[in-house]
Amino acid sequence: MIACLVHSLRRLAGWLLIVPLLCPAIAAHAGLAIALNSADGTISLIDTETYQVTGKVAVCKEPHHLMPTPDDKSLIVACAASNQLVFFDPNTGQEQKRIRNISDPYQLGFSPNRKWFVATSLRLDRVDLYDPVDFRLVARLPAPKTPSHMAFDNDSQFVFVTLQDSNEIMAISLGTQTIAWVIPVAATPAGIVMAPDNRHLLVACMGAGVVEVIEWRTRKSVMKIATGTAAHNLQPKGDGRHYYVSNRTIDGSISLLDTQTMTVVEKYEVPGGPDDMIVRADGKELWATARFARKVQVLDLVTKKIKQSITVGSSPHGVFFTNHAGLR
Amino acid sequence: MINACIEAFVELQGWLLAHLLQPVLLATGMGSYLEMAFDGIEFFLCGVLQITAAFLLLRPLEALRPIEVWPDRKAVRVDVLYSFLDRLGIVPLLVFALLAPLFGSLESWLRFNDIIPPQLEDLFPALEARPLLSFLVYLCILDFTEYWRHRLSHTFRWWWALHAIHHSQRQMTLWTDSRNHLLDDLVGGAWFAIVALLVGVPPGHFVGLLIVVKTIENLSHVNARLSFGRFGELLLVSPRYHRWHHAIDLPAGRQYRFGCNFAILLPIWDQLFGTQYRGQTMPPCGLRPGPLPESAAQSGFWRQQWEGLCALAVSFFPANGHGKERQRE
Repeated sequence: MIACLVHSLRRLAGWLLIVPLLCPAIAAHAGLAIALNSADGTISLIDTETYQVTGKVAVCKEPHHLMPTPDDKSLIVACAASNQLVFFDPNTGQEQKRIRNISDPYQLGFSPNRKWFVATSLRLDRVDLYDPVDFRLVARLPAPKTPSHMAFDNDSQFVFVTLQDSNEIMAISLGTQTIAWVIPVAATPAGIVMAPDNRHLLVACMGAGVVEVIEWRTRKSVMKIATGTAAHNLQPKGDGRHYYVSNRTIDGSISLLDTQTMTVVEKYEVPGGPDDMIVRADGKELWATARFARKVQVLDLVTKKIKQSITVGSSPHGVFFTNHAGLR
Repeated sequence: MINACIEAFVELQGWLLAHLLQPVLLATGMGSYLEMAFDGIEFFLCGVLQITAAFLLLRPLEALRPIEVWPDRKAVRVDVLYSFLDRLGIVPLLVFALLAPLFGSLESWLRFNDIIPPQLEDLFPALEARPLLSFLVYLCILDFTEYWRHRLSHTFRWWWALHAIHHSQRQMTLWTDSRNHLLDDLVGGAWFAIVALLVGVPPGHFVGLLIVVKTIENLSHVNARLSFGRFGELLLVSPRYHRWHHAIDLPAGRQYRFGCNFAILLPIWDQLFGTQYRGQTMPPCGLRPGPLPESAAQSGFWRQQWEGLCALAVSFFPANGHGKERQRE
């Protein structure tokens, strides 16, 4: 009985009573990490030195992904079910502003030339292109089915979007704001990044447990690299060569992929459904949200072991800190 | 202690996902649904705990202070089945599977035409930072809309033909709450989806809202001599208050021609809209033969579903003798 009520109403009672008390206490942190609790509608503020949660703030409905602005002065949180973008100071966690009527933003991205702000709508099968200056909608494109993550080529000619439920990748021409092509890939593609050579797309395919390598100019699949069950997302190590791949199962793992040899060179146990990741600038830690465990897992990249499991909110998804090794 | 309970719950939730659903979803190319499956397991586990809690707390109450004592409880068994199908997520899953594509397409079409359905927080931004207040406001809104859904299900002839299944039980117990025709559940699901589209129910509140509503509904159907007193019944629907809604013979008065006490949680809606009846006794429950045959009180699950469909078909022909209003004998 207690477990039921506590758990079922956890989004109501647990945090809610303390949120008002914590809000005024949010202050500048020496090292601040922000984790999005997508089911709670909250963000957890974590001290990156002590690994303590210093605050929890109600934000909006379904905050899934986040993205720093190109000038690094703001962190944009995409609130899918609230139709909002919420801007935070990434150093303090203080809210800066909200932009409403951004329809169902799920995954966000700025084109490298900073001329486009792109949002996918996972739930409503659509990709929206915005002017990044005033967030005015420029184009809205149908993207069946389940457009998830995105990547850009270095020249900002295209944005590539994974279509999770139709097992495809879509390329959108940013010049004409039209769909350039769609090609099939392995089952349930989610994460996608442009390899450092600007020639290959790396696509994490959950259903196949592989990272599929696509030569995007010829639209050919080059190879499939088995990383682990439910390969989900990719994050650069920051050395211009390696990428971490989260394999999002309960007993999950993270693989280290070498993009020069296109092989998995290391693999670490990271339980709880590792999802979004971020690497510390000094390369010593990788933080990953554990979607099915209400945790942020801190992987010590020296010992290759979990160093800390930080309890956050329900279904943690995006995670960010400013002292990172790079996002592209 | 509380944290340990949450940890244990999440641990079990994760274990069930890893060993039951994850392999199937990944093998069938449905990896996208892992999060949904995880939430579904939460729904299932909450249902298990909610049923257990309702049984442990309310069944002794029924044994200690029964309103009615029956020679046997055979007629109650089907309600137990309904409760398990409902609380453990089987009926909600069916309803969701049928309605989600429809409402997803509708919402997608609206967005493509630059229509973003309004949300309560757009009107009252303060709610965004006050989840407790937000939860209570959404609870009130949903209860208000549920009052009207319930009232209309007694008003429209076709809907009453389906909803009558719920009222056909003469041995009303804590299990009776979930006794509904599947089509009635489907219409109820569509009603909720429309409300969610119009005001934007926060997904994070959903399970909590459901637990509160279902727990009160279990309580309001209990076969126990229990009222909250004259003052308490102004605030929350009690077993005595709701029993009058299930009474075989409705109170006299034109305002009660379709029934009385339609409120789910808050009696204020009945008070505001003139359908409140503050009876002090505990009347017998059930239906006179009308849209459903007398046998419906004793029927099994599938027979009841069939009887509901027959009643629905008949309801489209008003000349057949079944009046629009509930018949008072």
